[in-house]
Amino acid sequence: MFRTAIRNLWSSPFGLSHSAPRVALAAVAVATALGFAGGSALAAPVRGGAANIAMIGEPQTLDPMASTADLVGIITQHVYELLYTFDANWNVTPMLAESMPAISKDGLVYTIPLRKGVKFHNGKEMTSDDVVASLKRWQDTAPRGKAVAKEIKSLEAKGPNTIVITLNRPYAPLLAHLALPNGFAAIMAKDSIATPLTQFIGTGPYMFKERKPDQYVQLVRYDGYSARKEPASGYAGKREAWIDELRFIPVPNANTRVEGSLSGQYQFADLLPVESYARLENAPNVKPVLTSPFGFPYLVLNTKQGPLTSVTLRQAVEAALNNADMMGAGFGDPKFYTTEASHYARNTPFYSTAGTENYGKGDAKKAATLVANGKYDGTPIKILTSQQYDFHYRMALVMAENLKAAGFKVDMQVVDWSTLIQRRNDPALWDIYITHSAVLPDPTLTPPQLGDGAPGWWSSPAKEAALSALNAEADPKKRGALWGSVQAVVFTEVPYIRVGYFNSVTARSPKLEGYVAMPWPFFWNTWLDK
Amino acid sequence: MTSVATIPVIGAPSRSPSAIIVRKLFRRKLVLAGAAILVVVTLLALFAPWVTPYDPMAMKISDRIQSPRAAHWFGTDELGRDVFSRVVFGARYSLTIGALVVLISVTGGVLLGLTAGFFRRLDGPIMRLVDAMMSFPDILLAIALVAVLGTSMTNVILALAIVYTPRVARVVRASTLVVRELLFIEAARALGVSTWRILFIHILNNIASPILVQATFIFAYAVLAEAGLSFLGVGVPPDLPTWGTMIASGQQFAHQAIWLVVFPGVAIVLAALSLQMVGDGFRDLLDPKLRKAM
Amino acid sequence: MTRYLASRFAGMVIVMLLVATIVFFITRLAPGDPAAVMLGDQATAADIAKLRTSYGLDKPLPLQFGYWLGELVHGNLGQSIFLQRPVTQALLERAEPTFFLTLFSIAIATLIGVPCGIIAAVWRGKTIDQFFSGFAMLGASIPSFWFGLILMQIFAVSLGWFPVAGYGDPGAPLSDRLHHLVLPSIVLGVVNSALILRFTRASMLDVLGDDHIRTARAKGLSEASVILRHALRNALIPVLTVLGLTFALLIGGAIVTETVFGLPGVGNLVVSAVLRRDYPVIQGALLVIAGLYVLINLAIDLLYLVVDPRVKY
Repeated sequence: MFRTAIRNLWSSPFGLSHSAPRVALAAVAVATALGFAGGSALAAPVRGGAANIAMIGEPQTLDPMASTADLVGIITQHVYELLYTFDANWNVTPMLAESMPAISKDGLVYTIPLRKGVKFHNGKEMTSDDVVASLKRWQDTAPRGKAVAKEIKSLEAKGPNTIVITLNRPYAPLLAHLALPNGFAAIMAKDSIATPLTQFIGTGPYMFKERKPDQYVQLVRYDGYSARKEPASGYAGKREAWIDELRFIPVPNANTRVEGSLSGQYQFADLLPVESYARLENAPNVKPVLTSPFGFPYLVLNTKQGPLTSVTLRQAVEAALNNADMMGAGFGDPKFYTTEASHYARNTPFYSTAGTENYGKGDAKKAATLVANGKYDGTPIKILTSQQYDFHYRMALVMAENLKAAGFKVDMQVVDWSTLIQRRNDPALWDIYITHSAVLPDPTLTPPQLGDGAPGWWSSPAKEAALSALNAEADPKKRGALWGSVQAVVFTEVPYIRVGYFNSVTARSPKLEGYVAMPWPFFWNTWLDK
Repeated sequence: MTSVATIPVIGAPSRSPSAIIVRKLFRRKLVLAGAAILVVVTLLALFAPWVTPYDPMAMKISDRIQSPRAAHWFGTDELGRDVFSRVVFGARYSLTIGALVVLISVTGGVLLGLTAGFFRRLDGPIMRLVDAMMSFPDILLAIALVAVLGTSMTNVILALAIVYTPRVARVVRASTLVVRELLFIEAARALGVSTWRILFIHILNNIASPILVQATFIFAYAVLAEAGLSFLGVGVPPDLPTWGTMIASGQQFAHQAIWLVVFPGVAIVLAALSLQMVGDGFRDLLDPKLRKAM
Repeated sequence: MTRYLASRFAGMVIVMLLVATIVFFITRLAPGDPAAVMLGDQATAADIAKLRTSYGLDKPLPLQFGYWLGELVHGNLGQSIFLQRPVTQALLERAEPTFFLTLFSIAIATLIGVPCGIIAAVWRGKTIDQFFSGFAMLGASIPSFWFGLILMQIFAVSLGWFPVAGYGDPGAPLSDRLHHLVLPSIVLGVVNSALILRFTRASMLDVLGDDHIRTARAKGLSEASVILRHALRNALIPVLTVLGLTFALLIGGAIVTETVFGLPGVGNLVVSAVLRRDYPVIQGALLVIAGLYVLINLAIDLLYLVVDPRVKY
C-alpha cells in the first residue's frame, strides 16, 4: 500500500506548485494513518457534486430494521447510525456510544455511555430515550433484533446519557449484533418511530430527501452532523460528507450497470457480473474494485415443511451437489471464486475442518443411496431463485441438474427478488432457496439461520448446545475451537449449505476518491474530483 | 369473402376452394420461399433430438462461452450448453405454442364470430365484448393474464389465445354477415336445413379462406409475443430453452458473446417471416376487399 | 350527426365499462399477496391482515368492485401498494418518457412508412416495390426487443454515439433526455413502419385504380400532379385507421423497449407492477391505456368526417 501511495505521488495531479513535495509527504502520512486502501488518496477532498450510485434494484423499504436485504442497509446506513460499529480490522468500535461499555464481572450487565450533543436531522439532540425506543423497536422488528431480544432481560435508560442492558446469560456477540449495519439497530428519533416508517430521522452524515420508486433515492448532506474525532477506519471514526448529494439508482439489469459505469453515467456501480471485470480493467474512465473474499453464496433448506424435513434427504441434497461446478457456473473465471468447504478461511481464527468431508462433490451415487434411505416419495423439490442476482440463477440451474441426477424431482421457481423475499417466509412455498451473504468476522452474525426464526426454521438440540457453548465464551481465542462443533452440526443436519467464496466486482469512477471497500459500500469520506 | 366462382351450389359436386387456393399458391415465388423455410423449421423441430449434436440442457461449465466453431456451430452459453441444439429445441416450443394458440383462438373466434354474425340479437353484446378486449394492446393484455394465471407454458398459450380470439371473431363475423345474405343460405333455410348445419357446414365452408389467412398471421404474432413475454420474464419459465428466454439470459453477455443473442433472434425472424410470407400469399389470392376485413 | 356522436359516445361508455370489469377481475383473481410484499420480509401475519383491511382486500369481490368503480368515477385510481403513492401520480410521473417515445416513434414510422408506401405503389412490381415490400415484411417479423439489443450493442456500447440506458440524471435538460430516446425511438419506429408502409401501399394501389384517376390522366395532367394531388389525398384517409392501430402496437412495443433501454416509463412501471403484484397500478395502467386507445379511435373516426367527404353519418 505504501508503494502504491508513493507511485501515486508522481502520477496524480496536485494543482499545487512549490509546496507540492511537502504536501505530498504529509498526504502520504495521512493516507497511511487513515488506512485508505491504496488509490490516489493524495488529492485534496473537494466539497460538492452529486454521485449516481447504481444498485441492483429498488429497495423494498427504507426502514433499516425491517429488512436484512443488503440494498436497504447500504442506503440507510448513511442516514442512521448505530451505537457501535466496525473498524477496518473488524473490531467493535464506539459510534453513537461514547466509549466501550462497562461490563459487569458476571458478563450480564452492560452499561453504555452515550455521546452528548449529537443532533438528529430534525435538530433535536439525541438522548437515552431515543436509544431505548429505537432498540426496543429493533427487538420487535428486525430478525437479528428478535434473536438478541431472547437474551435480553431488560433495557433501560439511566439518566439522559446512559443506557443499561441486562442479559439473561452471558452473550458474547451482543456488541457485534449492535454494530452490524444490516437489519441494523439504527438509532432513530423517538418522534419519528412508527410502523410503517414514514419519516427517516437519524443522526447520519446524510439525510433523506426524496424517494422516487424505481428511479432514485436521494440523500443530501446533513450540515449539523456531529462527527467523531478519531480518524476513519472501516466504518468507524470520523465521517465527512464531501459529496452534496447521493443518488441511489435502481438498475436491475446488470448489463446496464456495467455499460453505465463504462460510459461514466454512474460514479459507482454495485455487484457487477464478474465477466465484465476484464472490460472494466481496460476502460479509461472506470476503475473496477475487486473485493476478495467478498461473500459466500448459500442455500437454505426448509426443515419445517416438505420433503426436506427429513435429515437423510437433506444429507442427500448435500451429497448430490457439485459445489465446484456451481461456483464455476456462478462466477466463471476461478480468479473470482474459491471452492472451500470450511466456513471460515484459513487465516481466520474460526477455520475448522470439522464436518467438511460432507462437502458436496456431485456424488450422484452416494446421494441416490441417501435418497432411497430417506424414503423419498417423489414430491418435487421446490427451488426458489431469482434472476436479479445472476449468479444465484445459474447456480440454481446446476443444482437442479445435480438433484435430478440423484433421483430427486425438481420444480424450479424463478421469481423476482421482492417476491422471493416474501415467499421465503412461508414454509409451504419452497424447499430450497438461494441467497448470499458478505463474509463477516463473527460466526453468529451470518447466516441468519444460526439465529432463530429465520426462513428454514432450523432448530435442534445439537444446534442449541453447540451455539450456547460458543456464545457463552467471551475469549476470542477459545471461540475458534468452539465454532468447529457448530460447523460439524451444520454439515450433519444440513439446515443450509455454503457453496464457496466469491469475490465481488464493483466499479467506481476514477473521479470518486477516498472510496474504501467494505462489504456494504458507503460514501461518506468520498469526494468527486472536478 | 369468397369470389363468386367458389360458392358451392347445393347438390352440385363442389370444387373445393382449398384445392384451388393451393394450386394458385405455388405459382408465386415468394410464397414458395416462405413455405420452404417453414417446412425446414418444422422438420427441425420435429426431429430435434436426432438433428442436434448435444442435449440442449447438458451443462459443461468448463466449456462456457465459446464462440461458434466446429464442435459448437452456434457456440456455447454461460453454462456450457450448445446454442445450436438449444435453438433447434427452441423451435419446438415456439411452433407448439404458436400452433396451440392458433387452434384455441380460431375455435373460440369462430364460435363467437358465427354467433355474432348470424344471430342479430347477440351481435351487439358480443361485439362490444370483442371491442373491449381489443382496446388493450396485445402484449399488455397478455402480461396481465400471465400475471394472473402464473408463468408456465400452458398459461402463456391460454393467455395469448385469449388475446387473439377477438381478432378472429371480428373477421369471422364480418364474413358471416356477408355470406348470410347470399341466396343459397335463404334457400337452405326455406328447405328446413337445421341451423347447425347452416352455420357449421355451409357458412363455415365459405369463410374458410379469411380464417386461414388470419390463422397464419396469428401464428406469427404468437411466436413474436411469446418471445417478448419470455424476454420480460413473464412468459414461460426461464429454464425452458425458448428463443425468448435464450435472448433474455444472453443479453448480459452480449458484449463478449453476441452469438447468444444473434442466433435465437434470427430464428424468431425466420419463423415469423416465413409465416407472414405464406399468409400474404393466401391473402393475395382472395378478394382484395378482404384486406379491409383484417 | 349529433345522433351519430351520441350513439358513438354511448357505445364508448359501454366498452369502457366492460374494460373496467375485465381489468378488475383479471387482476383480483391473481394469486400472491401484495400486502405481504409491501410490508417486507419481517411482517407478521397480524401486520399483513391489518394492511389488507385498510386496503379493503378482505371484503367480498363484488363489493370491492363496486367500491373501486365508485372511486374511478371520481378519477381516483387507488393507491399503489409498493410505491406508496396514488396510482394516478405514479402514472403521471412516468408518463413523460413514454409520451415522447410514442410521439417520436410514430413520427419515424410515418416518415418512413408513408413515402416508401407511396413509392412502392407507384412503381408497383418493380425492384423498388419488391425491396420496400420485403423490408416491410421483415420489419413485421423482427422482435422489437431483439432489434433494440442489437442496435444498443452497435451504437451505444461499441460506437458510444448514444447513452446505453436510462433517461438521464434527475434534473437533466430536455435535450439530454431526448438524446436518451433516440435509439429506442428508432427501434420502435422502424419496426412499426412496416405496417404503415403496407397499408399506404395498398391504399394507394386501390385509389390509383379508381375511375377519377383515369379521368385525371385522360385529361392530360402530369403523373406527378395525378399522384400528389388526386391520389394521395384519398389514399391517406385509410392510413388514419392504421395510425390508431399503430398506437396500440406502440404501447405494446414501448413496454418491451422501455425494459431493454431502462426507460422509467409507463411500460416499465407495468412490468414491475406485475412482478411485484401491485394490483392498483396494474389496473390503473390497463384502464388508462385502454381508455386512451378508445378515445383515439373515436378521434380518428371524427377525423374521417372532416377529411373524407364521402363519409356522412
